[in-house]
Amino acid sequence: MFIDIDCHQTKKYNQNAFGDYFVSKRYPDEARLIAVLSDGLGSGIKANILSCMTATMLLRFVEGDQIPIKDAAEIVMNSLPVCQVRKISYSTFSIIDINDEGHAKVVEEGNPDFLWIRNGEVMKPNYDSIPSKTHKNRCMKSYKIKLDLGDRLIFCSDGITQCGLGNPKLKLGLRRDGLIDLVLAKLKEEPEISSSDLSEYIVRQARNIETDRNPKDDMSALVLYCREPRKSLVFTGPPFLQKNDAEYAREFLEFKGKKAIAGGTTANLISRELNIPITMDKTISIGKLPSCSYMEGVDLVTEGILTLTQTLEYLENGQWDIDNAAGKLVKFLLDSDCIYFMVGAKLNQAHYNPALPIEIEIRKNIIKRMKSILQDKYFKKVSVQYM
Amino acid sequence: MAKVNVKVCLGTTCFVMGSSNLQELLDLVPKKYGEDVEVAGSPCLGLCSIDWEFSKAPYVKVNDEVIKEATVEKVLAAIDKELKA
Repeated sequence: MFIDIDCHQTKKYNQNAFGDYFVSKRYPDEARLIAVLSDGLGSGIKANILSCMTATMLLRFVEGDQIPIKDAAEIVMNSLPVCQVRKISYSTFSIIDINDEGHAKVVEEGNPDFLWIRNGEVMKPNYDSIPSKTHKNRCMKSYKIKLDLGDRLIFCSDGITQCGLGNPKLKLGLRRDGLIDLVLAKLKEEPEISSSDLSEYIVRQARNIETDRNPKDDMSALVLYCREPRKSLVFTGPPFLQKNDAEYAREFLEFKGKKAIAGGTTANLISRELNIPITMDKTISIGKLPSCSYMEGVDLVTEGILTLTQTLEYLENGQWDIDNAAGKLVKFLLDSDCIYFMVGAKLNQAHYNPALPIEIEIRKNIIKRMKSILQDKYFKKVSVQYM
Repeated sequence: MAKVNVKVCLGTTCFVMGSSNLQELLDLVPKKYGEDVEVAGSPCLGLCSIDWEFSKAPYVKVNDEVIKEATVEKVLAAIDKELKA
């Protein structure tokens, strides 16, 4: 089972920093995912610092596994200072620690209760209330739940549930019920919507409710979706030992999922071993990147180093040009949940010609950086095999 | 008469060494020669890694003739030669 996770946020009107903070990390070795959403008191820079500190500290505590998640949350709850002006705590938080079987632990303090949606209905999970021993008005809720395929969890900051507060139609804001209606209606329309799209939708709708579309508080929507993983394979670079070509080509052929080849020599190798002809795209792409080629049974065939370098840059900047080969590769990667890279270790002497631009990097380095950005920024599961 | 087959290498080395500019052949050649010559890009002709004078990229193949440090002029000249042969 794959946990598709994404969070969308918007800043409070007239602020230049986000007051909510979301952080998440995948641990591929343990098949585990931890995410934290924190809402800092106030807004702007102050809130940003508070929520950022709370969220990152919690993530560190929980990932260390030295103390149970409940205890970690309790320590943080008790130690969060109280604002001198407003006499309320500095920040709120929700933590989720989930593994690939769907066993999840959730702890919430101060944030609106999360939604657990299964088959179009909102579940009512049991929880333990743990009141703070040091602060009267603080109480956290701890849940232990088991998610099934198709389940969704939705966390949000109070900016979402309180949006529209004071409008003639919504005197008390959207509230939890309004959010439930909104989400269930959208899920009916698009049952397979991705976490990325759903979280964006929630924030957009909440913003639309606000007067003049100016959010009166920071808004965040964090969505987790359990689904079958979409697998894809990127084969790049010829194997170090040529005698292994046939074996790796067969592995490529037998892979179940989407397939891409990045590299001219690599494409020729696959074509030769599997006896699939290559046709090159006829469009001209002067000065940018070599255009794509086509092979039957392969979803994308591109040039190697240049395209990979550009793809990495696009992934780092978060925006891309969909017309070129790198843009297509970005789309290919982002449309997948589990990405396997088969990276050939053979070096092409010609790439070390001093006359070539310095952008020509070693393939292994590019893939290494691509792996970490796909994991950390886009929350993909990535594994790399060198051959 | 057999068609003349032109293959422009669009592998990494050739592309950065100038074959990006040779792509104009894809436009130019059909206009000049019509059906007699067929131009296509190739993901990699595999020449840079075996030719130890690897500074000779970009490579273009006109039928079986390999053109080193190819330019549009060199390729057109080679096509003319092939057509006359």
